[in-house]
Amino acid sequence: MKLKLIYSPENVQRPVLSEIIQRTNVPINILKAEVKPNSGEMLIDVLAVGEKLKEVLSLFQKAGVKVKEITRTLEIDHVRCISCGACVSPCPVQAISQDENWDIIFDEEKCIGCRICVHACPMGVIQMF
Amino acid sequence: MFEERGAEKLRTYEEINQKIRQGDAIVLTADEFIKTVESSGLEYAAKEVDVVTTGTFGAMCSSGAFINFGHADPPIKMFKCWLNDVPAYKGLAAVDCYIGATAMSETRDFEYGGGHVIEDLVSGKEIELRAEAYGTDCYPRRSIETAININDLNQAILLNPRNAYERYNAATNSTDRTLYTYMGTLLPHYGNVTYCGAGQSSPLYKDKGFETVGIGTRIFLGGGIGYIMGEGTQHNPQNQLGTLMVRGDLKKMNNRYLRGATYYRYGTTLYVGVGIPIPIINEKVAASAALKDDEIFTKILDYGIPSRSRPTVKKTSYAELKSGKVVIDDREIASSSLSSFKVASEIAKTLKEWITEGSFLLNRPAELITDHREFKPLEVRRREPRVGDVMIREITVGNPTDDIKSIAKILIEKGVDHLPIADNEGKLVGIVTSWDLAKALAQDKKQLDEVMTSRVITAREDEVIDMVVRRMEQHNISGVPVVDQSNHIIGILTTDHLSRKLIRRHLL
Repeated sequence: MKLKLIYSPENVQRPVLSEIIQRTNVPINILKAEVKPNSGEMLIDVLAVGEKLKEVLSLFQKAGVKVKEITRTLEIDHVRCISCGACVSPCPVQAISQDENWDIIFDEEKCIGCRICVHACPMGVIQMF
Repeated sequence: MFEERGAEKLRTYEEINQKIRQGDAIVLTADEFIKTVESSGLEYAAKEVDVVTTGTFGAMCSSGAFINFGHADPPIKMFKCWLNDVPAYKGLAAVDCYIGATAMSETRDFEYGGGHVIEDLVSGKEIELRAEAYGTDCYPRRSIETAININDLNQAILLNPRNAYERYNAATNSTDRTLYTYMGTLLPHYGNVTYCGAGQSSPLYKDKGFETVGIGTRIFLGGGIGYIMGEGTQHNPQNQLGTLMVRGDLKKMNNRYLRGATYYRYGTTLYVGVGIPIPIINEKVAASAALKDDEIFTKILDYGIPSRSRPTVKKTSYAELKSGKVVIDDREIASSSLSSFKVASEIAKTLKEWITEGSFLLNRPAELITDHREFKPLEVRRREPRVGDVMIREITVGNPTDDIKSIAKILIEKGVDHLPIADNEGKLVGIVTSWDLAKALAQDKKQLDEVMTSRVITAREDEVIDMVVRRMEQHNISGVPVVDQSNHIIGILTTDHLSRKLIRRHLL
């Protein structure tokens, strides 16, 4: 499951993530991290389900890190989309592809929320949440 | 055997139109024609098929529209004019203007431009018109602010100086940073390939001998009917880079086929839908119309090199590009298009329908488009300062094994901030700045190679200063070593030295 972590000035200096990984033994993939002296945001992919996932979530909450579930990273306005492909090859993780009719297919699972496609779209029809 | 261009050996325009009127014309899209040739042979296809329709839908920067607003009371001779804050060209009569696709809004810049104004006009939206004037005896009004829509206008004529490139270069990027170009987003280290053009559906490639397209040819333009006015600017037919100048009535067009667009950090443009009917008047035209993606080639250029003559990374076909993967140096690289094949094929199909139902007739052009045109670059005649003219040639160079303390001393004595570091053969291997040295001394480091930066940004002696200044800005550095072909250090260029030179020139 993809999560957005929002750190506060109190916890941004602490190794919250690595403590949770050590304690739960759950593999966590960091997709994006923006850490500043007084704040921080991270996009992570927690490779766990069920009880294990709940445990990870509660540990983040205990550490004072705000957690938002990411169910959708971006939205393509398919009505205004012209199916050109300008967003396809720039995607560094191949989350966007085209089918045999050149229609754009977006794979939520692969997306790391890097926003490259948002800028690459000449029609401005890709929005990031 | 020499045959005149445009010879109507298989059928004449009159014969084709006769069949269209009777509903008997055989019209195929380029894709369908290729299939027919594959299954039944070129000779059969050329004999049976009357017209092949084509289509393309891509960014075409040299596009725009002439607009006549009509006269206000009291009247105004508009001297400057804006449509939704996008400046339009006003070097014309009182209430005529030209809105160009790449003009950008003065308030929203990259987000909205002339291309978007044209799309909004075609969509019937209200557009803010603002104009200024100096006032004359015959045109006393000095300013106007109002809203217009396309129905208010006397004329709104799409007139594009360069559209429908026969084919185009593909792009990749060798550098270590992401580039934002008119070829879209190019990831570093050959991270992807972008391309444009419609390949086997491309209007001009389907008549690459220019046997049928010419002045007056009736075409599909922006969802309405348009006409070819002649060759486009930068027309380079002998290299299969032909272009067209086209016009059409904007009032009869459709916003599905005219779309304002923005290329991030490049600018605004207009996606234009163009479709041309190719009458199969002789075998040469048939052979050209039958060309497939794997027979249409282009070059992948390195857009990381900021030069007019960008190096070719690879020759490729539209078939390879369209497969979504291109092999460069044994590596598979993702490729994707900037123009829309989906809409291009829709255009070819729509044009086919128009002809089949008898609402669109073909015509013999008043004059064919030239199949040869010299293609000239712009040579800069005024001398531009080059790196070699201003670089410092007497420089202090360090060695990776030098002692930091003694080097720091030398820098202080000479009053320099940048020390290039070379190996024993004089080849550049690193650089340190006075700041690096201060830090090194504080951390008790001993030897230069412990602190030097080994990925050095460099300049060449023959480069234009502007380019190097841009590079220094991009990397946020204040000096670059100048190296020759074999990476030997021959000088250094620093912002400090440059600004002093400029001040001196200014004072003199």
